[in-house]
Amino acid sequence: MGKQTGFLEFTRELPSKRLPKQRVGDYKEFTERYSDEKLNQQSSRCMDCGIPFCHNGCPLGNVIPEFNDAVYKKNWKEAYDILSSTNNFPEFTGRICPAPCETACVLGINQPAIAIEEIEKHIIEIAFDKGFVQAEKQIMRTGKKVAVIGSGPAGLAAAAQLNLVGHSVTVFERDDMPGGLLRYGIPDFKLEKWVIDRRIKLMEEEGIVFKCNTNVGEDVSMSNLLREYQAVVMAGGSTIPRNLDIPGRELKGVYFAMQFLKQQNKRVSGSPIAEEEIMATDKNVIVIGGGDTGSDCVGTSNRHKAKSVTQFELLPKPPVQRNEVMPWPSFPMLLKTTSSHEEGCDRKWAVSTKEFIGDEKGHLKAVIMVDLEWKIVDNKPAQFVEVKGSERKIPCDLAFLAMGFNHPQHEGMIVDLEIELDERGNVRATEKNYQSNIARVFTAGDMRRGQSLVVWAIKEGRDCAQKVDEFLMGQSLLETADRNSIARYL
Amino acid sequence: MKENLGLYDPQFEHDACGIGFVANIRGNKSHNHISDALTILENMEHRGACGCETNTGDGAGIFIQIPHEFFFDECVKLGVHLPSFGKYAVGVLFFPKDIKLREECRDIFNRAAEKLGLEIITYRNVPVNTHDIGPTALSVEPMMEQVFIACPDYIINPMDFERKLFVLRKYASHTIENTVRKDEIGFYIASLSYKTVVYKGQLTSSQVRNYFPDLNNKRVVSAFGLVHSRFATNTFPSWRLAQPFRYIAHNGEINTLQGNLNWLKASENGFLSTFFSKEEMEMLLPVINGVQSDSACLDNMIELLTLTGRSLPHVMMMLIPEAWDGDDRMDPVKKAFYEYHASMMEPWDGPASISFTDGKIIGATLDRNGLRPSRYCVTTDGRVIMASETGALPIDPALVLENGRLQPGKMFVVDMEQGRIISDDELKSTICSQKPYGDWLNKYKIRLEELPEPRVMYTHLETDQVFKYQKVFGYTTEDLDELIAPMALEGKEPIGSMGTDVPLAVLSDEPQHLSSYFKQLFAQVTNPPIDPIRERLVMSLASFVGNNGNLLEEDPLSCHTVALRHPVLSNFELEKIRSIDTGVFQAKTLQMYFRADGKPDSLKKALDRLCRYAVDAAEDGFEVLILTDRSIDSDHAPIPSLLATAAVHHHLIRKGLRGSVGLVVESGSVWEVHHFACLLGYGATAINPYMALSSIRDMKLSGRIQTDLEVEQLKKNYTKAVNDGLLKVFSKMGISTLQSYQGAQIFEILGLNQSVVDRYFTGSISRIEGLGLDEIAKETLAKHAFAFPKKQIPVDRLPVGGLYQWKRKGEFHLFNPQTIHLLQYSTRMNDYTSFKKYSKLVNDQGERACTLRSLFQFKTQRTSISINEVEPAEAIWKRFATGAMSFGSISHEAHSTLAIAMNRIGGKSNTGEGGEDEFRYETMENGDSMRSSIKQVASARFGVTSNYLTQADELQIKMAQGAKPGEGGQLPGHKVDDWIGKVRYATPGVGLISPPPHHDIYSIEDLAQLIFDLKNANRAARINVKLVSKAGVGTIAAGVTKAKADVVLIAGFDGGTGASPVSSIKHAGLPWELGLAEAHQTLVKNKLRSRVILQTDGQLKTGKDIAIATLLGAEEWGVATAALVTEGCIMMRKCHLNTCPVGVATQDKQLRERFTGDADHVVNLFKFLTEELREIMAQLGFRTINEMVGQVDCLEMREGIDHWKYSKLDLSPVLYKEPASQNTVVYNNEQQDHELENVLDWKLLEVAQPALESQKKVSASFAIKSINRTTGTILSNEISKKYQSAGLPDDTIHFKFTGTAGQSFGAFNTKGVTLELEGDANDYFGKGLSGAKLIVYPSSKSNFVPEENIIIGNVAFYGATSGESYIRGKAGERFAVRNSGATAVVEGVGDHGCEYMTGGRVVVLGATGRNFAAGMSGGIAYVYDVKGEFPLQCNTEMVDLDPVSESDKEELFKMISDHFKHTQSTVAKFVMEDFDNQLKNFIKIFPKDYKKVLQKQSEKVKNEVKK
Repeated sequence: MGKQTGFLEFTRELPSKRLPKQRVGDYKEFTERYSDEKLNQQSSRCMDCGIPFCHNGCPLGNVIPEFNDAVYKKNWKEAYDILSSTNNFPEFTGRICPAPCETACVLGINQPAIAIEEIEKHIIEIAFDKGFVQAEKQIMRTGKKVAVIGSGPAGLAAAAQLNLVGHSVTVFERDDMPGGLLRYGIPDFKLEKWVIDRRIKLMEEEGIVFKCNTNVGEDVSMSNLLREYQAVVMAGGSTIPRNLDIPGRELKGVYFAMQFLKQQNKRVSGSPIAEEEIMATDKNVIVIGGGDTGSDCVGTSNRHKAKSVTQFELLPKPPVQRNEVMPWPSFPMLLKTTSSHEEGCDRKWAVSTKEFIGDEKGHLKAVIMVDLEWKIVDNKPAQFVEVKGSERKIPCDLAFLAMGFNHPQHEGMIVDLEIELDERGNVRATEKNYQSNIARVFTAGDMRRGQSLVVWAIKEGRDCAQKVDEFLMGQSLLETADRNSIARYL
Repeated sequence: MKENLGLYDPQFEHDACGIGFVANIRGNKSHNHISDALTILENMEHRGACGCETNTGDGAGIFIQIPHEFFFDECVKLGVHLPSFGKYAVGVLFFPKDIKLREECRDIFNRAAEKLGLEIITYRNVPVNTHDIGPTALSVEPMMEQVFIACPDYIINPMDFERKLFVLRKYASHTIENTVRKDEIGFYIASLSYKTVVYKGQLTSSQVRNYFPDLNNKRVVSAFGLVHSRFATNTFPSWRLAQPFRYIAHNGEINTLQGNLNWLKASENGFLSTFFSKEEMEMLLPVINGVQSDSACLDNMIELLTLTGRSLPHVMMMLIPEAWDGDDRMDPVKKAFYEYHASMMEPWDGPASISFTDGKIIGATLDRNGLRPSRYCVTTDGRVIMASETGALPIDPALVLENGRLQPGKMFVVDMEQGRIISDDELKSTICSQKPYGDWLNKYKIRLEELPEPRVMYTHLETDQVFKYQKVFGYTTEDLDELIAPMALEGKEPIGSMGTDVPLAVLSDEPQHLSSYFKQLFAQVTNPPIDPIRERLVMSLASFVGNNGNLLEEDPLSCHTVALRHPVLSNFELEKIRSIDTGVFQAKTLQMYFRADGKPDSLKKALDRLCRYAVDAAEDGFEVLILTDRSIDSDHAPIPSLLATAAVHHHLIRKGLRGSVGLVVESGSVWEVHHFACLLGYGATAINPYMALSSIRDMKLSGRIQTDLEVEQLKKNYTKAVNDGLLKVFSKMGISTLQSYQGAQIFEILGLNQSVVDRYFTGSISRIEGLGLDEIAKETLAKHAFAFPKKQIPVDRLPVGGLYQWKRKGEFHLFNPQTIHLLQYSTRMNDYTSFKKYSKLVNDQGERACTLRSLFQFKTQRTSISINEVEPAEAIWKRFATGAMSFGSISHEAHSTLAIAMNRIGGKSNTGEGGEDEFRYETMENGDSMRSSIKQVASARFGVTSNYLTQADELQIKMAQGAKPGEGGQLPGHKVDDWIGKVRYATPGVGLISPPPHHDIYSIEDLAQLIFDLKNANRAARINVKLVSKAGVGTIAAGVTKAKADVVLIAGFDGGTGASPVSSIKHAGLPWELGLAEAHQTLVKNKLRSRVILQTDGQLKTGKDIAIATLLGAEEWGVATAALVTEGCIMMRKCHLNTCPVGVATQDKQLRERFTGDADHVVNLFKFLTEELREIMAQLGFRTINEMVGQVDCLEMREGIDHWKYSKLDLSPVLYKEPASQNTVVYNNEQQDHELENVLDWKLLEVAQPALESQKKVSASFAIKSINRTTGTILSNEISKKYQSAGLPDDTIHFKFTGTAGQSFGAFNTKGVTLELEGDANDYFGKGLSGAKLIVYPSSKSNFVPEENIIIGNVAFYGATSGESYIRGKAGERFAVRNSGATAVVEGVGDHGCEYMTGGRVVVLGATGRNFAAGMSGGIAYVYDVKGEFPLQCNTEMVDLDPVSESDKEELFKMISDHFKHTQSTVAKFVMEDFDNQLKNFIKIFPKDYKKVLQKQSEKVKNEVKK
């Protein structure tokens, strides 16, 4: 541990951000880097706990106190080695992870948690700056071939891990560029795309083949893949968005969030946009859904210079601090003010959308909303009832449905191969082996787990890779989040 | 087949005792000497013990000269005429009662005599009187006969006759042992000599006189009588274990016995003596045969060395040497003697006061630590009376010429032929100059530093290799960062806190280091641990590598060995040894590897090969064997160096070759202190930890260690840390020297199977089976495969370890993020469902077993009952206690929250050893109370006053603590704030040290005395003795029960919240399952169980844990860690750093504010635990806890355990149910009889009534004897009850006593009491003095010079907090140890005066012994040093020696004049009259810490005045 009393001397500080007014003028990231001194101070706050709950909070099992210590000692190579031992893509999670590690941070019991995510980002960026991040060229090949379907975080993680142990990996991506949700779901102002390109380039140098514009199930059949590859990992994500089936849904101006975000990301990268453009400029925008995707719609709308941006959330406004029903170290549902909110947004809590109202041309003009009252009866999960007389109409030209995703797309490869689904419509496979009902077909990420975080996707990709490796080789030396590899020799 | 099905093993038996003798200096024989010696015995009754029957003793006896006239007459009655004295011998034979067996034995004995040409004159039945001898003793009473043997005519020298008798005894005993069927009595020869005869048996001390009518016969005369009374930890009847033996009576314990026996065996093959023919030598061997007590073994050894030509004092000096190593002031001639003998044999180490005699001289010696009292008195009528206590034989004061005590390491001999006392100096200088030992050493000793440069040199491993080797040997990043790096940086072993909750090695899924299966043993109760820091002078790390030579002759070449200052060799030093060549001295390197093919028996083959090579090398004349594991490769894995070393060591012992070679280990698998300790304990002489050293270098070069220190310095620091750590490990067991530790096997093995143990770790304790060689190989091969992988390792880093911290990819911990969260959540929300989730996680260790109990499941052979039929929760709550955590180790908030919670449910909280603020005795406004029911009495005695003791419901004597048994502690000055200082009676800012031992408990009879003291101090309180689980804790528990404890607590090694060296947390002590089961079984076996409450603690976390504890025998339970977690602890394990972020284990104000614990939550925890327990009780059909205690047949091994490692464990000894007869109760249902009714205090109390009632002054006089112990303590308890800590006004009660006071005179006496003693006193004078005034001066009838004689015993004013005392005369060792406030004037003190003192004032008007002021951090002492010798006697590590300043003068003068006023001291008078002139002879001993604090205070005052 760097400094015994660091946590008493310094408090949590995040790097400065460009001011909202400035940053809404472009799509660049706006979080700056720590000064050397600040970084040192922030890392010194780590208490090197007897039980580092952060290890447990992080799905990847990031070895946090150790890398904090290495940062404190400016032992950059060691910090990078520690970080990359559990996380293939810290440059992604360092930017866009909701940081469950920080919620689990012991210091968080009564003080602001360690800025773990920022430290993570600094480690990997410094590692890139210093040239530590190099493609591994000396890989002994096993002669086995693995296909990975989907190049989102789960697919990339699985591909990276499988390649590392010598399998020849081909990644199939139906879009024009690899990255999946990372590339087309997350706006540039949160994750600039060169960050993905940089990583893809390294992976290609290490021998991974990316086949873009190839939709498995359409362009190539699963059975063909199974003929050519010894194993297939399906990591296609959870892509079917949850719909809001109310009157007026068909109106022009009502879109799924992902339609909007993907288009904007393509626009920023200069890719051609085939379909009709969705622009929020000078419009009254309502974002339905209070999660991260909703936030991204808010931020993007502001950058489009919308007239107004309003966000609806079904649930009541959550508390700012933990209360007794969500004690440390559980993940609390707290009021979260994202950077997009800072840029301007009217947030409405405990409201429901009753109807979309259009004009004669079929363009959205307004929505009817209603207030909700949440009640807990007989210890059952809370139920809501509409507040009588609270119905009102507010103007709206553009509505984005950001209410999450139901399950992966079924038509295509899943249906073709008669892959078994679970009750939620996800591919059925357990964490014990990540294997579907079809031999040699594995699955990981949102496709298996249902919609979740990037960090969970990476974890699934890694763990799945370990199982695939074990399946192919009889024994695997890949580590998983919970087990080191030496014990495998016993 | 094990004879015993349970955990009890007779080898764990301990004893301690009272010894004494009366001798006539001129050798005049008289019956009075015998009669007086028996009186001594009778007056030391309290030092012996009795078992379940008051009339069955542990053994007592007497040793006298042969009463020739008497025997002559007796033999006439048998129809034979004895030859003249010296021409015949008398043997005392214990025969079996069974006539057939008896005659068989007799026949063999007769034939043996015949074979040796000895004629048997006759046998005589020893008359005995069995009236009032206990049935247990009688059940195995032998048939005692005396045999008379004639001296053959051709033998002129009587000593030659004695040697023949020795051969006869050994030969006959061996033959009978090997051929005659054994019954429980057996055959035994108590003595066989032409000079002396022994009368002994399993008797109490007062029974000896009546049992042997011979002893009352006036014609039975002797020039001396040497007596012994035994206090054993158990009562399994055995007559032969009674003492005296044939040469000695021993009060003490030989801790290193196993090693001593091994070394003896190792050298027996080479025994040659001019006094015995080859054939006779063969008849003699083995020197020590079969299982017998440590004292008996020592006696055998002494006998052998004496009869092969050395004098008895010479032999004593060999076996129990003074602390010579490192003593620069010792006479070089004497030092050479010790060093020469050290190169031949190791000390028999342990506390020892030994009285010895060969019939012509009689003497006594004390070991280097001097932990047993030995007082003597020389009279004007030519007698010497020596005993464990003064006053044991009342002597008219007018006859006393000299009162003295034996000093540590000193000897005292009465030569009855020369008719004089020979002093230690004279005796030793004669012996030491018999031979030119110094010249021999100069000529032959090989000094490492003088050896030439090595021929070749291994260089350091470079980074890649280091990494590979680290993997092969199983290093983790934790080992590097948390163990090795701190050792290299700080030069000491790192500290950890909060115990351990990882799986036992045998249950772990991580590949283990072999040494993790070895648990260090430690001293508790039966012998004291040592403080290796403050008492460094008795410790030694010196050792010798090479051939030990023939022990029976004095050959100059015996010291042709390499002398080492310490056992850790640098690479350079190792190469020097490898290259050594003196013509007759060379080293041979042998390789420790085995084929890494994973085939069965690969490891065994390699071990066989290694042993074979070792034998070859030894037979080829190599003097040093170097075992190395450097040469390993992808196909060859290292044999665990511990296994290889032990295998070679034992193989060579078996071949009789071990004595001819030294074993040096060059190993990569050695980095922790414990690894070193294990290797040394199994025979290594020196160790080169090349990988640890390379790792340090690599860490420095790679920036992993960031420091300005050079690599060489880092390595030196590391070596120092290892050496200091080793001293700590030895001292834990009470062992002082590395030499005695070597091969002593002070471990219990947990998890290796019996065949591995028997073959490679021969003689070690191992009770639950476990891994075989192939499984050991498997663990090694896992690491090997990791280092030499068949394919690429994706992330090639060392494993994280995770033993000291939880790590996601590391070792499993029971307290982990999930369990902590659930426990905190459930208790805060009062949510039993969540608690069940928690307990399920803890209990269900199906996949990853962690504790032994996780391998158990309940077995319901009884009918389940409804939970409503189970006794209510309220009835069970009172059986709970929280752990002993001091205010100081945890915050006031955390401490008082536990107290409030426990008081709410009627359970008990514990003060810990930090005292208790009196405001907590007041009931709070809401009716809650912060008073802790249990007051702990630990070695530092912080805040232990009469009032504190009076305020207790239970007094807990902490003999050891789970986290670091056998060790003391230290609270650094910066943590002693004003509040803690006040509660602990210490100066804020001054560091506080807890000594490793209680300085009033060096043995079991001392513990009995402390229990007696505490019972006097508070009759209503239960006395609880806290022990830590270890092999043999059962016999200790039995002893403690016999010492009258009301509660015995068996703590697990894994609990413990205190800070301690990391190696102690993991490697010392055992799980409570073993200790508790052993204690319960042993107590039931001894019929003692119903007399005592058994309590257990150590990571008890769930109702299931408590149910298992109950079934294994505990009726009360302690919960500490879980209660702390409930209060908010998140196992930060930083308690020692004061940075606890949740305000639990910190005194930092800012952090304390972050404490969020609540008594309600803690109450919920205990409610939940009880509920779970009741559910299990209902399931098993128990209505009450009492019904359930010890019903171990309700437990069985869990089904379906198929783990490759622990499926082979055999826990049946734990699950063994000791049969108890129908009407025997196996839970506590009796009160101990504390025998308070005869205490003198009842008389004092009567007289003192007016003072108690209305503070009227009272005074009175009383006679006092040594059997009157703990005087004034009940009186003080009564005062404290009424007047609390204020007591009475000074001198309200003034009592005068005449005679010799027993132990603990004035103990815990409070304000207002003045005790004046004319005469003298024993040990523990003024123990825990709490405000009273004690005055002692010699009898007015005595003629000796008071200031030259000893008047009070050892360990006076231990833990005194206030009061004053005036002592006219000298005191023994450890005067004013841990004094924190009393004022005392004395006229001379022994060794270790004012040790650990933190407050008060001491004036010594005379000389002091060595090591004065060791660990003294506060208070002031003034020493009157006329001869200018004091500075050399003082340990100046923590104190300055200053002149007496102007401002001190007044204080000093007043103390001296008060001394004169009270005692009429002539020294005081002289000094007072010439005060200004004498001032220059006074030295002020001023602790540096204290000085700093005082300076700060005075500056502060000055500044305030200025403002």
